[in-house]
Amino acid sequence: MSISNIRGDAHSAGPSLTTGKWLNKLERKRQTGPLFGTAHAHELGMSTRAVHAGTNDDPRTGAVGTPIYQTSTFVLNDDQYDSVEGGYARDRFIYTRYGNPSQWAVQEKLAALEGAESAIVFSSGMAAITATVLAMVDKGAHVVAASDLYGGTYNLFNQEFPTLGMSATLVDSYDLEAIEAAIQPNTQLLYFEVITNPVLKVVDIPRLADMAERHNIRLVVDSTFAPPPVMRPLEHGVDLVIHSASKYLNGHSDLIAGVTAGPRKLIDQIWPRLLNYGGSLDPHACFLLERGLKTLPIRMRAHEASATALAEFLESHPNVERVLYPMLPSHPDHALAKKLMDMGTGNVTFFVKGGDEAALRLLDHLKLPKQATSLGGVESLISLPFNSSQATMTSRQRAEIGIDPGCVRLSVGIEDADDLIADFGQALEHIAPMKEAKYA
Amino acid sequence: MRNNIPTAALSEFVNEVAENPEEGMMSYGIEIDWESGTRSCTQTKPMLVGPHKVSRSFSWKVDEPRQLMGNNHGPNPQELLLSGLGSCMMVAFIAGATAEGIQLESVKIDFDGELDLRGFMGLNTNSTVGFPKINYKIHAAGDATPEQFEELHRKAVAHSPNAQSFINPVELNGEMISVQVSD
Repeated sequence: MSISNIRGDAHSAGPSLTTGKWLNKLERKRQTGPLFGTAHAHELGMSTRAVHAGTNDDPRTGAVGTPIYQTSTFVLNDDQYDSVEGGYARDRFIYTRYGNPSQWAVQEKLAALEGAESAIVFSSGMAAITATVLAMVDKGAHVVAASDLYGGTYNLFNQEFPTLGMSATLVDSYDLEAIEAAIQPNTQLLYFEVITNPVLKVVDIPRLADMAERHNIRLVVDSTFAPPPVMRPLEHGVDLVIHSASKYLNGHSDLIAGVTAGPRKLIDQIWPRLLNYGGSLDPHACFLLERGLKTLPIRMRAHEASATALAEFLESHPNVERVLYPMLPSHPDHALAKKLMDMGTGNVTFFVKGGDEAALRLLDHLKLPKQATSLGGVESLISLPFNSSQATMTSRQRAEIGIDPGCVRLSVGIEDADDLIADFGQALEHIAPMKEAKYA
Repeated sequence: MRNNIPTAALSEFVNEVAENPEEGMMSYGIEIDWESGTRSCTQTKPMLVGPHKVSRSFSWKVDEPRQLMGNNHGPNPQELLLSGLGSCMMVAFIAGATAEGIQLESVKIDFDGELDLRGFMGLNTNSTVGFPKINYKIHAAGDATPEQFEELHRKAVAHSPNAQSFINPVELNGEMISVQVSD
């Protein structure tokens, strides 16, 4: 089989099966990838990787950038049939649900950005989370996870896990002693978010990694709030890192996608779950995500600059009670943030004086930020946890995870800081409690 | 996939263990609770595959037939012993066949063993307490020659941990932890 007949990763060959030999003669070793073109460029700078890693010009026409391989299936030759029989079909193009060059391009770019051997993209962050978690647990397994998880992930542990005969204990992600105490003999996984939503707690990932290793269990983290220019959790000893790519990674609020990155060994264990559960990412969405990723580092710098300026402005405003921005000295986790984060993000959470009523008035008077959930887009997005992400909780339950009245969840886009400050300045003037007649 | 074994992953795991022996250290455990009469219940403990914990939520009942003062509520210890021996040889046989590229259609291992309970009962005889011998036949259909199957059989026994635990002396270290209960 010549290289030109290999439709997939030319560096991947089947295990040599020899009559009369035992297992020790099997030659195929695990390698990074799958790679469509040349190897990863881990040694290059973050922006260079964002632009070049995984992106291959069309060999037939010379067109610059990855073509959109909008196909469901691939013409098969003997080599592809061999790959199915030999169990390395992940390294060949067979069918788009299994793998597609548009997926590979974006996977290689994401792996390069995270410093990972391999990555898989999914049709949503939740598809990435369910496939990854369920690949890491077995019958009767137990998981220790954060008590203030993203709602979708919470529902996986709270609604789906008992049905599957598994269980989860949810613990305050600050309380390392309680996390360790929650580990049971059948615990297989620690699952945490590196920066929590909406109160932006910075979790001590290196100590969790140390704990996971001591207990022979895996640590999986959701790093949606800290994309690679901010933090690379694999460098801190995490086994697998997951993102909702709909947020900072894509950055334009125009697609839904997810990704899991980590060692090839573990990603190869997740891949069969992608096949079994579905959740593959469409080639056109891959193109958009790959295009978005090229500007990730430069967008993050713009998010950080505008968010820092706006957070400082909000902190000084008399109608604002408190601001949570990890890179400001006022944040309770500022020291840890400086240690784990290379830069700030666009996420700013703050509490206005006058409670949720005042917060609603603020949103009504803002002109630039969109009233919408999600985060990490080029446009500023603003929402209130009490009537959106944490609407099903009682005010007491919200207070337990730090969502006090007047809490505003803001994802600062890449707009000019001066414009955002001017807009927030005028809107904050309108939030003082109005004198209303009381009717008994 | 051959014989439903992911061959590439098998090869990658073998090479991983060759480079990092820690990944090849397996640690197992079970707990057996006496329930009633000759009946007990076995529960698997979490297993370690290399340094990685695997939840093993399995349990089964073990009992003797009524003729041996039990209630026949489950397989007896001898059947489970043969099952543990044979299913381990089966894994070795299938993995070895797969590594050679042999496509199997069907494999069945048929075990028979006979033992003399006078040994258990302490009646004065020269009989062994355990099985003096165990007979088995492997019935296999696949695309290998009879000579290849015979060689595979030899290698499967040579590499089966449970078969080798039968053939070779195993250090059995026990400890008695007792509580004297007085009425």
